[in-house]
Amino acid sequence: MKNQNRGQIRIIEAFLAVLIIFSSLAISANLSVTQNTKASSGLASIGLQVLLKLDSDGSLARYIDNEDWHTLRDSLNLVLSAGIAFDLTVYNDQMQQVNTDVVSNGDFSSQDIAFVEYACASQGSDFHCYIIHLYLAVAT
Amino acid sequence: MRRCKRRFGANSSGQLLVVAALSIAIIISSTTIYVYELSKEAKSRDSRSITDFIFALKQATRNAMISSLADVSKGGERAILEDNLNNLSQVFMNLHQFGMCYLSFMVFNDSRYDSGICLSWNTNNSGASSAYTNFTLKLDHMMTDIVVDYAVNVTTTVVISGSYTKLEGEEKLVNLTCQVSDKEEPTLAKKITLFYEDLGSWIPINSSNNLSVADYGNGTYLLSFTISTLSDVQVSAHVHDVREIFVQANATCTEA
Repeated sequence: MKNQNRGQIRIIEAFLAVLIIFSSLAISANLSVTQNTKASSGLASIGLQVLLKLDSDGSLARYIDNEDWHTLRDSLNLVLSAGIAFDLTVYNDQMQQVNTDVVSNGDFSSQDIAFVEYACASQGSDFHCYIIHLYLAVAT
Repeated sequence: MRRCKRRFGANSSGQLLVVAALSIAIIISSTTIYVYELSKEAKSRDSRSITDFIFALKQATRNAMISSLADVSKGGERAILEDNLNNLSQVFMNLHQFGMCYLSFMVFNDSRYDSGICLSWNTNNSGASSAYTNFTLKLDHMMTDIVVDYAVNVTTTVVISGSYTKLEGEEKLVNLTCQVSDKEEPTLAKKITLFYEDLGSWIPINSSNNLSVADYGNGTYLLSFTISTLSDVQVSAHVHDVREIFVQANATCTEA
């Protein structure tokens, strides 16, 4: 009798252990993965849309061609919603950094950072193409 | 009594095992469904981002075409189009966010297009500058390869028509309508320079010809000026559109 009870208790214990492990896995996945992925993916999408908007009339490449980093920073500030921190780096076709000034609006204190890679070509008769790396985060 | 308890204990142990197994099975299947739903959601977000990314790459090829046409229309070599697109193709290979990216292209050639460029400036009353290229964009994505075929046609057209009224002596007042369009849509001109023909040479029209320009804001411009010539009134409009693409159109004005 005692041996049988011991067996049952062990099964219950094992079951409880499994339940606890799965519960903790489910809760942690729900808290970290889902929310982070949703937020960063949304930010990346916003970033891409913003760059597309600036590029639609050739403004983006024009600012880079003219090395007008101040206007580029202001344009991003204007188009991006308040509370989104950004940091933009421009590379030429040899992957050398082009921007001499920092094109950013603040510190990245958030752990949730989205990354957008964008290819941009100029419309002017002097042809240049650039690769843009844009990092975005929700400012805290 | 003791036998009964033993029997009950043995039975309960079996039932408990079945219940435990069932619970574990439910937990495992719930977890599987949960992970599947998560991955499905991530996949749909991913495909939306890829669609935007492909749109951005198409935008870059379009800008390269505009840049090349602007250059060729102002006297550059036609080979510039292929050079620029090759350059862009190399840059695309440095993009890695959505896997390897390959761009191949075929510039359009026919009776009108040479090396993907058509400069049709000799047609009476109208002129067109155009670039046309077929592209294949291949994205070696982690999950699946994406191949997109598309064509880009960049065209600026200028249509002019005009009439003149005789003033004193040889002097004539010319009214010219100039319409600038980007394919079928009206577009704005950045700069319009006018010339008239006198004794076989083209003479620029400027403020000394009482030049006035009315901009209707929809790609239509009404230009008025006076000229002194004995011959027919032949005018030429040299237009740079907002994208810096140059187009030229010639017209013979009729007496109103």
